[in-house]
Amino acid sequence: MLTVDHVYFSYHNEPPYILNDMNLTVHRGDYISIVGDNGCGKSTLLRLILGFLTPIKGHITKSTHNLRYVSQKNDFSHAGFPITVQEILDSYRKLLHIKDKNEVDRVLALTNMADYKNRLISKLSGGQAQRISIARALIGEPDLIILDEPSTGIDRKSQESIYSLLKELNIKYGIAILSVEHNLEMAIANSTSIYHIANGQGHLCSPEQYVKEIMHRSNSAEHTNCSCFTDVSDRTTPGPNEVCQNSTPTSAVSTKEVHHV
Amino acid sequence: MFNYDFMQNAFFVAICISLICPCIGIFMVLRRSSMIGDTMSHASLAGITLGLLTNTNPIIGAFLFTALCGALIEFLRKYFSHHLDLILTIILSLSIGTAITLISSGHLKANANVFLFGSILTVNATDMISIAALTVLSILTLYFLYNSLLYIAYDEEAARVAGVKVDLINYIFAILMAAAVSISIKIVGVLVLSAMIALPVASALQLEKGFRTTLLCSIGFSLLSMVIGLFGSYYLNVAPGGFVSLTSVGILLVVLVIKNIRIIMSRLRVR
Repeated sequence: MLTVDHVYFSYHNEPPYILNDMNLTVHRGDYISIVGDNGCGKSTLLRLILGFLTPIKGHITKSTHNLRYVSQKNDFSHAGFPITVQEILDSYRKLLHIKDKNEVDRVLALTNMADYKNRLISKLSGGQAQRISIARALIGEPDLIILDEPSTGIDRKSQESIYSLLKELNIKYGIAILSVEHNLEMAIANSTSIYHIANGQGHLCSPEQYVKEIMHRSNSAEHTNCSCFTDVSDRTTPGPNEVCQNSTPTSAVSTKEVHHV
Repeated sequence: MFNYDFMQNAFFVAICISLICPCIGIFMVLRRSSMIGDTMSHASLAGITLGLLTNTNPIIGAFLFTALCGALIEFLRKYFSHHLDLILTIILSLSIGTAITLISSGHLKANANVFLFGSILTVNATDMISIAALTVLSILTLYFLYNSLLYIAYDEEAARVAGVKVDLINYIFAILMAAAVSISIKIVGVLVLSAMIALPVASALQLEKGFRTTLLCSIGFSLLSMVIGLFGSYYLNVAPGGFVSLTSVGILLVVLVIKNIRIIMSRLRVR
């Protein structure tokens, strides 16, 4: 469905690369969470996949054009914008050239937001607004939904509701999900795979494997009081298989979070 | 009053302005770039002076030069992506510099001052044809680009993913802004033209309704400002630009006062 093949990228068109020989394949039914430290290139990878940026080297191949994007929102994203939920969804339906007018009601029902059809988006809570963004992404029955930090600015209860909706869409309708995550707990609990980016490279592993690695590193760091996992800046660039095993700083994942999972 | 041809012409143009300015203005306000309207209205002065210098219709001159400035603003966004204010300063320097140089040269074949403040006496048959053509073309373009423009303002990235050619539409929108400015300069004048672009929208936003209702209310407020402004201008014998602008501010104040009274009343009812 989507292949990222030996992709290199730098905002200055020259080394050092933010993304350095990046590889990723997304199949139908996958739920992949992209994790990593701030500034590691998670959102840059999304923007490359969406075509907002162009790789310096390598290729991104999409076998489907039926993909949707749910961008990262902050509390002020819709402040003062005079638009109702109905207008948001119906305008997008028209942009996608979908003639069925019932499509808006269908996606509202899928996301359990039918009662909010005539509300202004600026009057909804962060969680409700995010559900509307997901409803919009469902217009036209997409194969792949790409999300950028879907839980930003949302309370814990709404987060659980959002992730439960994403998981349902993934399992029940086979929609592939590719989501940049800072919320490791939710990523581990809901994803089929974790794609961990560090030092410009990524590695795909199962959530269980990822948890084991984090716990192993946390324990090692506590026992040895060693700083080798808290600072990776002086390390030489590791190979793709090494990244998931060695490069997550303990600051990125607290022991508390992992125990909770 | 309506026995005079010039008043009939002025009201025809006023209706065109009331239709087109809020339709453009709502997208500019929601994209937080209403100051572009101010810059483009000032830029139109250079187009007017160029028109007067070359003995062509100043409205057409204003349209062509302002469209060029609009395209230049979009082009410069690539180089100053986070500095819109700087881009507007560059465009203002270019256009006002051109206008002042041409006016002070003494080579103009007519007085450009009338375009600064607006006048109800100066709209002639040629202007009417130009304004009617620009209004019809602008409304048709807005009708076909309605959803794209709405989404570029609301969520540009989602619009791109849906296949909207954002850069191309931004250039087309710059031409629409130029059309709105050119239509308005004769009656409203260069100096207060941005009032017609932003203030009716500001009043309509206070109503807290959906997009379509806000747009219709903006057109309503704009029409009200123009009609009251033209009557005031006729009876008080003052430049229409200033009086239309003051009327727009007055309508905004009335809307704010009514809104606050309703809030206070509803709080009292709750107690």
